[in-house]
Amino acid sequence: MTTFTVQTGLFFQRKMLESLRQPAWIVMGLTTPLLYLALFTPLLNSLAGGPGFPPGHVLDVFVPGVLVLIAFGAGMGAGWTVIWELDSGVIERLRVSPASRLALLLGTVVRDIVMFAVPAVVVLGVAAVAGFHAHLAGLVLLLVLLSLLTAACSAASSALGLSLRQIGSLAAVVTGVQLPLTLLSGILLPLSLGPPWLRVLGHLNPMYYAVAAARDLAAGTVGTAVVGAGFAVTAAAAALAIWWGTRAYSRAMA
Amino acid sequence: MTVPTGPWAVQVTGLRKSFGAGNAAVAAVRGMDLAVAEGEIFGLLGPNGAGKSTTLRILTTLLPADGGEAVIAGADVRRAPARVRARIGYVGQLGGADAGATGRENLLLTGRLYGLGRAAARARCAELLGVFDLSEQAGRPVRTYSGGQKRRLEIALGIMHRPRVLFLDEPTTGLDPQNRANLWELLRQLRAAGSTVVLTTHYLDEADHLCDRIAIIDHGAVIALGSPAELKQRYSGEAIAITPDVPAPSLPALALDLAGALAGDPPAAGAAPGAAWAVTGDGAIRLALADGSPGATEAMAAAFALLARRGVAVLAAGIARPSLDDVFLHETGRTLRDAGSPPGGARTDGAAGVSAAAAGVAA
Repeated sequence: MTTFTVQTGLFFQRKMLESLRQPAWIVMGLTTPLLYLALFTPLLNSLAGGPGFPPGHVLDVFVPGVLVLIAFGAGMGAGWTVIWELDSGVIERLRVSPASRLALLLGTVVRDIVMFAVPAVVVLGVAAVAGFHAHLAGLVLLLVLLSLLTAACSAASSALGLSLRQIGSLAAVVTGVQLPLTLLSGILLPLSLGPPWLRVLGHLNPMYYAVAAARDLAAGTVGTAVVGAGFAVTAAAAALAIWWGTRAYSRAMA
Repeated sequence: MTVPTGPWAVQVTGLRKSFGAGNAAVAAVRGMDLAVAEGEIFGLLGPNGAGKSTTLRILTTLLPADGGEAVIAGADVRRAPARVRARIGYVGQLGGADAGATGRENLLLTGRLYGLGRAAARARCAELLGVFDLSEQAGRPVRTYSGGQKRRLEIALGIMHRPRVLFLDEPTTGLDPQNRANLWELLRQLRAAGSTVVLTTHYLDEADHLCDRIAIIDHGAVIALGSPAELKQRYSGEAIAITPDVPAPSLPALALDLAGALAGDPPAAGAAPGAAWAVTGDGAIRLALADGSPGATEAMAAAFALLARRGVAVLAAGIARPSLDDVFLHETGRTLRDAGSPPGGARTDGAAGVSAAAAGVAA
């Protein structure tokens, strides 16, 4: 019996190879956020400085949101391959092996964190050239926070895939939650632009806290209550999702 | 064949499993008892839906049982699933090879997960690639493999860690005759090397030629158990098969009449109840003669006489040597083929006729 760490490493290696064999996804993972920067920033330029818009360079407001989008996208893809692996019997075969179910889940989670971190660093580099004010300590913490968010999304996506077992159902659920989750977290446009009821709804969304903390961290303000809340909520969401995903892997399937 | 006395690789007592809840619950396994000796190739034979795969899934820790006990290679499935997993190999119907990865990557990952070191995994991988004639394909993604190559890799994955018991669910379904024969040979080699093999099949010839002992499963329980030779001997009454020139819908009625004719019409006092019958998929009427009924030649003569009186031409007729299908027919009043066909459609009539006849036979 190999140790838990070795197993996680083996599963990570398997998943990483799977990603590297699909260069189209790697390219899209880089171009989509860059397109957001190139095409969406000009729209925000006209809003900046207006009522309700946070102070600072437009990119200072928008880049943290784009990073959250990358994290969300990198994580939510996990469920699709899970369903494919259910259909081809891969998961059944691995479930008969003595391998830890948590390691099985974490192999994918860690892969997704890598698939978040690489384009995130590229986007940060490009944005810095375009006028984004980078604060090193804040950015390191920001990447840690959003790695936790990626983990939460990845584990939840795997759990959803294992429970729903159908690509169509998973697509419906993911696209169904994507809009309210992203809109009500203030990723694209800050919620401070909206009426009070919208801001109240935002506070019910766990991703809202991650985005708010991400903006503070990007601005270089590290020790705020907003940052603390962001870490607390995101870490709790990640722990819950990992528990859910592990349970889904160990649960009996007819 | 002597009845094995152990040591046992698999011991199952009173195994039960239902799906669904309350009144909608369907019992898939109802009181299964089995014992497989070490070094046996043991077959679970039965039609689709008989509960074979569910049983296998319970024995391999994939499904929890509702009741009963199962001990695999000395470990209890419910109390020590981790120990069971370390000692068994499983090749499911779906195969489970990672199609995007290469054959070698699949094997190495599996070996490492079961605790082999890097070097040991590499050595075992090279050995199996040679045995399974996959060395050339080892570096290519599994999705480029032919059906036979993929199946061989899946078996190799199942035995990478030298399991004490190997479970295979319908291992030869979808294989061409050549690959099927090769797989049988591989399983025999595994047995020779000391492994125990438990497989499910709905192919009679597979159970007959490959397995040391078989359990015939129907409706989630074992209805007959023994070596193929023993089982066939137990139901040594011969069988005749006749293909009359009548439309398929009238086959069951004709079969019923033929079965009656063979019993003596009216049956002599104390005579055996005559032939169990079934209409097979190819339009033949199969009559398995019970012990004490007239011999096959007399039965054939009686059948021809009845058909001649009716003016029915005979397209084909023969005396069939007892087969495992006859065993199943004797136990259930159905042939394996009929039992495996989906309900509904034109076959429903035949199935109804068969159960009516089975009731008649039992009376």
